[in-house]
Amino acid sequence: MTVNTISQTKTELQAKVLLGLGVGLLVLAFLSLSVGAFSIPLGNVLSIISSQLGVNFADFTAQQSNVLLQIRLPRLLLAILVGGGLGITGASLQGLFRNPLVEPGLIGVSTGGALFAVIFIVFGASIPAWHYLGPFALPLAAFIGGLLNTYIVYRIASQFGKTDISLLILSGVALNALSGALIGLVLFYADDAAIRNFTFWSLGDLGGANWTKVGIGFLLIVGPVVFLLSQFRNLNALAIGENEAFHMGVDVQKTKIILLVASAVIVGTAVSMSGTIGFVGLVVPHLLRLTFGADHRLILPGSFLLGAILLTGADILARTIVMPAEMPIGIITAIMGAPFFVWLILRFKKIRY
Amino acid sequence: MLQAQDVHFCIKNQPIIDQASVNLRPGELTVLVGPNGAGKSTLFKILAGENPCKHGTVRYNGRSIHQYKTKELARIRAVMPQHSELTFPFRAIEVVEMGLFASGSDRSGEIIREVMDATETWHLREKLYGNLSGGEKQRIQFARVLAQVWEPKPFPRYIMLDEPVSSMDIAFQHKAMNILQSVKERNVAVLVILHDLNMTAHYADRVVLLKKGLIYKQGSVEDTITSENLAWVFDHPIRVIPGTDSAAPFVQTNPNFIEKLSLTLS
Repeated sequence: MTVNTISQTKTELQAKVLLGLGVGLLVLAFLSLSVGAFSIPLGNVLSIISSQLGVNFADFTAQQSNVLLQIRLPRLLLAILVGGGLGITGASLQGLFRNPLVEPGLIGVSTGGALFAVIFIVFGASIPAWHYLGPFALPLAAFIGGLLNTYIVYRIASQFGKTDISLLILSGVALNALSGALIGLVLFYADDAAIRNFTFWSLGDLGGANWTKVGIGFLLIVGPVVFLLSQFRNLNALAIGENEAFHMGVDVQKTKIILLVASAVIVGTAVSMSGTIGFVGLVVPHLLRLTFGADHRLILPGSFLLGAILLTGADILARTIVMPAEMPIGIITAIMGAPFFVWLILRFKKIRY
Repeated sequence: MLQAQDVHFCIKNQPIIDQASVNLRPGELTVLVGPNGAGKSTLFKILAGENPCKHGTVRYNGRSIHQYKTKELARIRAVMPQHSELTFPFRAIEVVEMGLFASGSDRSGEIIREVMDATETWHLREKLYGNLSGGEKQRIQFARVLAQVWEPKPFPRYIMLDEPVSSMDIAFQHKAMNILQSVKERNVAVLVILHDLNMTAHYADRVVLLKKGLIYKQGSVEDTITSENLAWVFDHPIRVIPGTDSAAPFVQTNPNFIEKLSLTLS
């Protein structure tokens, strides 16, 4: 058996895994468009979409068409963008910190983003320069908050190119507590009109989806995601160690900056659109690594697809469990994710790779 | 050739390396020897480009190390640090493959097979790196670093290893040193930090003796591995039985001294 046949089999396997995840996402997407308080049969979902593409079947009602095109489709696309974005960000940050317990929510990136988003919503009117940015101002504010917290956590927990996991989690706890308290403080001083509710920022919600949000999300998330996808070889090398990666020819400093900024843009945008949704970035890369190994060539795109699948699935549950009311989606991801996190810690205690 | 001139490195105004000048020549195996805390690893890191030196210059093939991009540097020098741990479940062959990060050779498949055969790690290829024993891990890392300089090139290259055989059994220690001896024939300069003085005497072309951040002596094995030099550098009575044409010098510590020491302690 030669190395070339080994790597060929590996590439084929990776392609199959990604194809499988893609098909899974597609199936779930149609399911998500169909179910809900107002049920649209799958056949009608298909005919509404095909009529948008020019092939008219006209066997659906105008109400069905409106619900699908104005409510469900943007919501589904937002779930895919946010879930995929959180998934790939989790994978990248874990690679950067060289630690499988890292997640945007745990280390304070999401709450940092939420804090700055809340500050912007409440006090933004008094900063005239922001108005030029229009609908991009809110995601940008969240991005700055996310980047700030990522940077602080990184500086606290890293020394000589190694990241200490206990310092990392503890500084995450501290920053989460502080950011959470400050969010509460800002909301305390805000009037009801300025803020929808606190739940949105702490538990997440996809309910506010509309085409404007999807458009902005698409513009701000897809670019950084592509950037992250291109970093797979650097992330593989970083897994051996920062010094080792440098010796092998990785510009470590540049890679770090790319990863941190791209992650903060994605998380900041996601947070500003749907609040803080936890555990997606933690669970997703792990499931993939457990089953298919650690090669980031698969982990990065796989995490995007699986993250999108997970959040789309969670959103279906959020919309159907307490019909016709809706459950905050963060409750569902946390109920699934927190036990997984505990299991992960126990496992981490037993074996270290 | 790698030329390091008047290299100086301080931590909190305490010199760790003081005015060190070393040359590494292709075709030569240089061994860095010295007691704990002498500054071996620091000097090693300066030469490898990992630590910047405060004063002095390091030149690779006549060009200052600062003028190299990270990737260019990786094409002419490979480094094996003391310990490398992975947090993610990579397989052994994936770790070795990473050695080809900078070169991206067309022959990557053959190179990986060759270095894994040489280090006798081919049978470990599908295993998770984290499940390997300490010595096996070291052999995998050794294979990764070898892969980086394996393909012959028209320009001089460098391979630097910080205690590369510390976890290997005696047979592999010698196999690893023999591999390095054959690698140096490919226009490669080898720098190794070793603690085993007999190993040093056997394989080194040049020895650099380091004590308290200063290069005490450097030169051939005959000039450096002597009773006086080693006793001074290590602060410990060491006897060297001079080598012959067919055998390297033999280094022996004086066991009587240890006995006396334990007597005074009790």
